[in-house]
Amino acid sequence: MSAKNVTVRYFAVLRDRRGLGEETLSTESDTVGDFIRELVVRYRLDLAPALIRAAQDGSFVDDSTPIRDGAQIVLVPPVAGG
Amino acid sequence: MFQLSHEPLIPWPVASDSAGGFVTFEGKVRNHANLRQVLRLEYEAYDDLAISEGEKLVAEAVERYRLESATVVHRVGLLEVGETAVIIQTAAAHRREAFAGCEWILDQLKHRVPIWKKEYYADGDSGWVGADAPGPNPELEAQLTQRQRRLAEIGDDGQVRLKAARVLVVGTGGLAAGCLPYLAAAGVGQLGLIDDDLVDLSNLHRQILFTVEDVGRLKVERAAQFVNRLNPTVEVHRHAERLTEVNADRFVASYDWIVDGSDNLPTKFLLNEACRRHGKPLVTASVHGFEGQLLTVQPDGPCLRCLFPTAPASRCVGTCAENGILGVVPGILGMLQANEVLKGILGYGELLSHRTLLLDLRSGETMSLSRTANPGCPVCGGGTDISDPCEVASMSEAHARLGVFIVVDVREPDEEPTISCDHVRLPFSTLDDLPEGNLVVVCETGTRSLRVAARCLAGGRTNVVSLRGGVASLAEYEPR
Ligand SMILES: [Zn+2]
Repeated sequence: MSAKNVTVRYFAVLRDRRGLGEETLSTESDTVGDFIRELVVRYRLDLAPALIRAAQDGSFVDDSTPIRDGAQIVLVPPVAGG
Repeated sequence: MFQLSHEPLIPWPVASDSAGGFVTFEGKVRNHANLRQVLRLEYEAYDDLAISEGEKLVAEAVERYRLESATVVHRVGLLEVGETAVIIQTAAAHRREAFAGCEWILDQLKHRVPIWKKEYYADGDSGWVGADAPGPNPELEAQLTQRQRRLAEIGDDGQVRLKAARVLVVGTGGLAAGCLPYLAAAGVGQLGLIDDDLVDLSNLHRQILFTVEDVGRLKVERAAQFVNRLNPTVEVHRHAERLTEVNADRFVASYDWIVDGSDNLPTKFLLNEACRRHGKPLVTASVHGFEGQLLTVQPDGPCLRCLFPTAPASRCVGTCAENGILGVVPGILGMLQANEVLKGILGYGELLSHRTLLLDLRSGETMSLSRTANPGCPVCGGGTDISDPCEVASMSEAHARLGVFIVVDVREPDEEPTISCDHVRLPFSTLDDLPEGNLVVVCETGTRSLRVAARCLAGGRTNVVSLRGGVASLAEYEPR
């Protein structure tokens, strides 16, 4: 395992719960799925990790995708309002 | 005098020293027509024309029957069985003229005044009866759409395609407020509106099809009126009901494009499935605070559940009422939805069928994230439908999943009433450690309790669930 630096953007309810829209982080997580779980616990995002989708460098990816050092990650929860 | 009224009609007192005969006729909605059971009626009028024609008719009756006065008030909008549709009142020196004049007005009214009647039947069907519905008006249409037909991408051919198109807008709230006016103005031939909700003052900051005067009225009715004022040539179908698993297929099958303007995830998912079954394209959008998200689902492209294969509990991200919403956000997203539909019908540009558009109205920034079909999608792939692991729908489901458990109430100390079964009270705002063992967490609505359960799950604890529906769902629970 090696630390990777990533920029994370939080959308909708995740932004509310994180209290900010964007940050740069260092993570030891290997995959996108691990990274989501790590952030949910660390920042009390209060959403089942299975409900959060991640885009890496402009494309939605599945949870098994390796995290790329220097990646731009967008975390997207379900959004309900209309 | 001739008037139209959106409000229930009540006969008014009459007085005149010189008249000896007063006739008041009340026409009411009855529960059957042509051997079919009728549930309600709907009257729609071209207001200005109806009033000017009605005034002429009343003047003619006064002249013809030497009436001292004649007054007609006709209801418009949705009427239930038993409600008064029209009141005609005549006054004359003698009873004979008063009766005859009243009856003549009633007969003439149906033929001469442009008020249309729609009957809603018990079998779910409905239809316009009597006079024809607002008819084609090619000249008006041509003038209304003149500037857009100048675009090479549209032209006369495109306008014909728009006229032939049928678009269903589910929900007539904030997204529809952005979407509907532009679809109508562009000359979409038929618009279907579904919503069982009534206008509330708290809607108006974003649902700008409505005014303060509309509070308490059916949204579909007022939205339809807005649309027909903007473009009288659009045929509007109003469905004052909720979209359900029972009626979704019928609605979706009858339209060419579906716009999701709903405010909840179950409806969005229901539409996604129904559109997939019927091969109909869907434009879905949702909003949160200052942000919005938009995507188009093509019958052969990635769907909404490709993105969210696990069905979230409906309260997992709260509602507009809980989170708050800036009015322009659904307005802008709704306009973008209209643009997607127009793109689809006219064939210009590129649909958001393989991307999701995210908008942040604080910064004005947009992100367009590409997405692909998910082989594990429960709707269009081979996956099974898994629901949010953090929630149970009932106490019996909690028993089935956990066996023995402790109930934890996370409402704040000032929230009442206290629940009657054995429980532990740990307010959400100060919540830190939870008891060991199996837990069923409850709150008022099921939103905060779901957060607690999700927090536990993320921390590796799988024996904590939230009760859907909050304390109300505890009511039927009898501890053993
Ligand atoms: Zn899918």
